[in-house]
Amino acid sequence: MLVDKIDVSLGPTSPRLQFLQKTQNSDGGWGYFPGKQSWIEPTVYATLALSQNPASAPQVARAWNLIRSWELPQAGWQISPQIAEANWTSALCINLYAARGICDSHLIRTVDWMIQTVGAEGGFLARARAAINPVPNECDYGLQGWPWRPNTSSWVEPTAHAIIALNRAAVTFGNRINLAGVRARIDLAERMLLDRRCQDGGWNYGNRRVLRTWLPSFPDTTALALLGLLANRRAEATTSLARAQDYWRGSTSPLATAWLKICLRNYGLLSRQQSPPAAGGGPSQDILLAAIQSLGEAAEEHCILGLPDSLAGRTSA
Amino acid sequence: MKKTMDRRKFLPLAGAGLATGYAAIHRGQEKPSGPRTASSVAILKAASYEQDLLDHIIRGLSECGLRVKGKNVLLKPNLVEFSADTCINTDPRVVAAAVEAFERLGAAEVIIGEGPGHRRDTLDVAEQASYFSAIPQFERRFVDLNRDDVSFVKHFVDSSGIYLANTAVRADLIVSMPKLKTHHWSGVTASMKNYFGVVPGAVYGWPKNQLHFFGITPSILALNRILGRKSFAIVDGIVGMEGNGPIQGTPKHCGVLIFGSDLVAVDASCCRVMGVDPNGLSYLTGAADGNLATEWIEQRGERIENVSQNFALIKEFAHLRKS
Repeated sequence: MLVDKIDVSLGPTSPRLQFLQKTQNSDGGWGYFPGKQSWIEPTVYATLALSQNPASAPQVARAWNLIRSWELPQAGWQISPQIAEANWTSALCINLYAARGICDSHLIRTVDWMIQTVGAEGGFLARARAAINPVPNECDYGLQGWPWRPNTSSWVEPTAHAIIALNRAAVTFGNRINLAGVRARIDLAERMLLDRRCQDGGWNYGNRRVLRTWLPSFPDTTALALLGLLANRRAEATTSLARAQDYWRGSTSPLATAWLKICLRNYGLLSRQQSPPAAGGGPSQDILLAAIQSLGEAAEEHCILGLPDSLAGRTSA
Repeated sequence: MKKTMDRRKFLPLAGAGLATGYAAIHRGQEKPSGPRTASSVAILKAASYEQDLLDHIIRGLSECGLRVKGKNVLLKPNLVEFSADTCINTDPRVVAAAVEAFERLGAAEVIIGEGPGHRRDTLDVAEQASYFSAIPQFERRFVDLNRDDVSFVKHFVDSSGIYLANTAVRADLIVSMPKLKTHHWSGVTASMKNYFGVVPGAVYGWPKNQLHFFGITPSILALNRILGRKSFAIVDGIVGMEGNGPIQGTPKHCGVLIFGSDLVAVDASCCRVMGVDPNGLSYLTGAADGNLATEWIEQRGERIENVSQNFALIKEFAHLRKS
């Protein structure tokens, strides 16, 4: 268990991309850490990150083959070699397919499945339970986002990822997918995010007030929620952007600052070159982190997890 | 005088009844067979984290007769979120002392693992909670259980299985190291509830909402059934948390470390130390077949009455106050 670290400082350029190249598993995927089993989440992010680099084409091709092989018959993608069930990570795959311009029958089925997937808190049983024993979380359960796993409640992070993916799919594929369904679902989910916003202007995992007590926001979920609201709710996100900028200046979490960088770049509030003032930690063995950091430093002005100009409504950084 | 029962009193009691019924139905799965014997629980006074905690921990393990030689040990602290205003997490000095104690006693390997329920950047929580500075070689020892490889375990709750972190499944001995805290959903959180951290976020998310859909009590019982027989507990009660725990409560100096191999007995003793009636907690009554009588617990070290203090309870759990 006490594994030796892999040197991630391999050269003067793109050390993170080299780290990702070196840590790809034999099946074409990536684990969360070197030598661990492949999971869909780090595999999608590593694939997106390496897609920036033409020299990584062989690695990207192998990863793409694995992701295609993980398509599930009904909809979605399995989340690891042994877990053949679709969950929130299917949104990440939709984003990847949109980035690659792939709109096949599986993608269309999965968009339909995403439209139909809602948080269980709005269902009959949940509402009946809440009527008997009032829920101590103060939020509007009629506003359903997306759950981490089907048949559970909506939370901020999976909802943000689903909005980002469906917005991107809508812009990329237009009428080839169920645009009306996508738009209605995004509207509901955006309102859910706004309803779950914490008193300090940011977001945590999705509980703003529990048992008469306001809960604080977190930096990473604040960044993700803002990315989810980027396309249609920019005006309503203004106060939250100030919270995100505060987090950018003060957060010690490398993962949070990586998401904040992507978020603030997409809102035109940060340049590619700017580094977080407070983030701690040296070279990391965290593959997911390395991939997200790479995306935050992507050369395109609109980072790959952000939105095309036409949707973001922005003309310059 | 006519006795009445309002909804606030009825629901926890109904929950306890359901849990007891659940345990009875699933007795073959939930309880080891054979005659019941008393479980040893050791309570040692430790006034502060500045004391020689290594000595305390070696004494506590010895009082409970724990053998660790040659075993792969997973220390599972309670690492949740960080706030400088309160004391959410197991103090890293207790964890550091446990690492040294288990190594001195001949453990083959000592790993620290945790999978927080709300925060994805586990190492950042650990950094803020001073784990890096207090525990030698912390990062080399640490496994983020949220993103570990996983194994499937059948029949977790009813017919539903669950994926659990391999580091926990494969350990010879898991040491649950919770903070002694009140909890706004379960009343009290100690060594049994602490096992929510071995459920991987990579499968179930942040929070691990699936466990709420299984039911908190059935989930605690099931995790204890799966992992309890290779478990030991070291509870950090030097400074605990009262009120609106497990995150927004108030620090409460209690000055104890609590040890034992039977997590039900340990948690029942924790309740008594906190001035809480363990018979009011559905997961304890469910796990103990409704019998949490003190004669089943062989109390070692300090007597409970010498260290007990009433931890403040939120109004939803006021009925738990031990009379």
